[in-house]
Amino acid sequence: MTTAAPKPKKPKDLMSRIPAGFVRAVLRGHSSLGLAFAALIYLVCLSGSIAVFAHEFQRWESATAPQVTGVTPDAVQTAFEGAIAEGGPGVEHVYITLPSADFPRLLLYVDAGEDRQLLADAKGQIVPGGDGAWTGFITRLHINLHLPRTWGGFLVGLIGVALLSALISGILAHPRIFRDAFHLRLGGSKRLQEADLHNRLGVWALPFHIIISLTGAFLGLTTIIVGVLGMAMFNGDVNKVYALFIPAPPVDDPRPAPVLDLRPMYAKLPQDGGKLEYIFTGHPTEMGAAALFNVRHPDRLAGTDSYAFRRDATIYNEKRAATNNFGEDILASAGAVHFGWFGGGLIKIVYFALGLGLTYLAASGVNIWLARRRDKGRPAPAWERAWAATVWGQPAGIAAAAVAGLAIASTPAAIAAWLVVSLTFLAAAIRLPAGTLSRIGRLATGALLLLAAATHLALRGGIGSADAMAWIVNAALIAGGLFLILWPLRRPAAAPAAQPAPA
Amino acid sequence: MMEDSSPLLPALLMVIGVGTGVWMLRQSWGARDAHGRGWVIGGWLLIAASFIRPIWALGTARGAFIALALFSIAALAVIASGYSIKVARARATRESLAPEPSDRATTKGRETLRWLLAGPIGMIAAMGVGIAWAALAPGEQQTRLVIGGLIVPVAWGACMAWTLADNRILRATAALVGVALVSFSAAILKGFA
Repeated sequence: MTTAAPKPKKPKDLMSRIPAGFVRAVLRGHSSLGLAFAALIYLVCLSGSIAVFAHEFQRWESATAPQVTGVTPDAVQTAFEGAIAEGGPGVEHVYITLPSADFPRLLLYVDAGEDRQLLADAKGQIVPGGDGAWTGFITRLHINLHLPRTWGGFLVGLIGVALLSALISGILAHPRIFRDAFHLRLGGSKRLQEADLHNRLGVWALPFHIIISLTGAFLGLTTIIVGVLGMAMFNGDVNKVYALFIPAPPVDDPRPAPVLDLRPMYAKLPQDGGKLEYIFTGHPTEMGAAALFNVRHPDRLAGTDSYAFRRDATIYNEKRAATNNFGEDILASAGAVHFGWFGGGLIKIVYFALGLGLTYLAASGVNIWLARRRDKGRPAPAWERAWAATVWGQPAGIAAAAVAGLAIASTPAAIAAWLVVSLTFLAAAIRLPAGTLSRIGRLATGALLLLAAATHLALRGGIGSADAMAWIVNAALIAGGLFLILWPLRRPAAAPAAQPAPA
Repeated sequence: MMEDSSPLLPALLMVIGVGTGVWMLRQSWGARDAHGRGWVIGGWLLIAASFIRPIWALGTARGAFIALALFSIAALAVIASGYSIKVARARATRESLAPEPSDRATTKGRETLRWLLAGPIGMIAAMGVGIAWAALAPGEQQTRLVIGGLIVPVAWGACMAWTLADNRILRATAALVGVALVSFSAAILKGFA
């Protein structure tokens, strides 16, 4: 008979050496922070995941407009003049987005008494279909929650900071987070399942979570950081801070003048393999008009050269991306990195999936807290109802906004639909139990997704659409809608072989 | 005019490499003896090597960020493939779980102070650190400003995590007020040049 040799003890990993008292205190902070910001983090993450596809949704909305793969300088000039005529008197700026593989449209944004977004065909003629109500709704929901821009941006920045803080405390509060890194136990107690999903997503997608929360907080807080910096270091003149990054415009000269001619500026752009993406124009019907041309180079996150022209087509500022310093490179790439707009459709899909994972992380944190209370015999049914109304009211509200945006072609109508549905769910939480709210929310979201596809087919080109993206988006909406409606009806999986319960 | 390189092939190789690397790490996690070390070293080496191809083929920064996004997806796919089904039990509360949050005694005043520290006071202290960096650190002006700006959310997030956890709230108050005073004073005295 042989005796088994004693198993060698595995050395304790670094995380396991954190004192239990410290872990419990950090866990308390993690819970407090998560509960205080859960709904806002959830909303910002959900809208951000959808906003990754902003260009695709804009193509979907403008499916009736002509596809434009390339434009001549003459066509751009025609479109530019047409947009200024549509904008009426007092046009301050016109921003022109040139067609690209990602976005085959010629888009012009006119900043006048009433801001307008217009589309033009390959010859530069203004065509209908440029409202982009739903795309405007979802991007502005993510960027400033439809609040006044400065305050909304600050609030979203604060939410990014809270998320970053929750990531820090989340790692410190879970000493087994790396030791359990491969556990994924489903189907047992709700609390264990939610905790496993929460922690596995939290660990393995941590690089993505840090990138998103840090860039989001940075972008959202820029205005206030620059304001404080200006006060502390530049006697309150924030323009001195911006001047370090953005070329100063020419001296203001408000005398009336013919529409700025962009064609001679085109002729002065270097032919070095770059692709013209945007043209920003200021005061285009005044003598002091100016235009900034952005030319992008491939395979670089911050690869945009900029050329700033006066009215007479002389260059007053030229900035090559190749000469950027580290700070300029970070600033130029922060937006693309945050939204996943740097690796084509594949990275957008990856960002969408990881973004939904982050959204689930916010939801599951509260679910764990609710399950813990229930386990301890102190259930919080009112909070359970409110949380179910939030978790399912938001996707339903966003889907309702898509229907309203398509049907009425107005962003305020989309905002109103989102608000009405969100508030209806919260009001229903006064009476309905959490399980019922979840079921209704799932069905409502599914039905509204199907309705959005049907509305698009009826009003926005539908079957006759030349842009394949319209078909892809509609197919995704139908698949998503059917999934949400049919998923609860699936047959329960066969029970696994019985496992002996511990004594 | 050139377009961005397609990420499809490098992405496929990356996902295979990272997926295999994470699978090797999982093997080490399952191993209860010394064999685990080989899996760990091999797994991490393979994961690190998988980053090279996208960075080389898709541009340094662009490729690195594409690789980071794909890393998470590939790793989560391996984790999801190894799920286990548990049977719900009547006495589910006996499951082994993470520690419980502390039940510290507190007052309304202390909680208000705690949230003030996590919110506005933490923000001011974090801004002080970021602005002090912009003023005092070496390097080009734009780089100092942007790094200083990135320090603000990180420092504020750390302040939040700390002040919401620390039971000694007066210590946190003194530290944050001190950091704000010192950092702003240093930045204003030095100026931005």
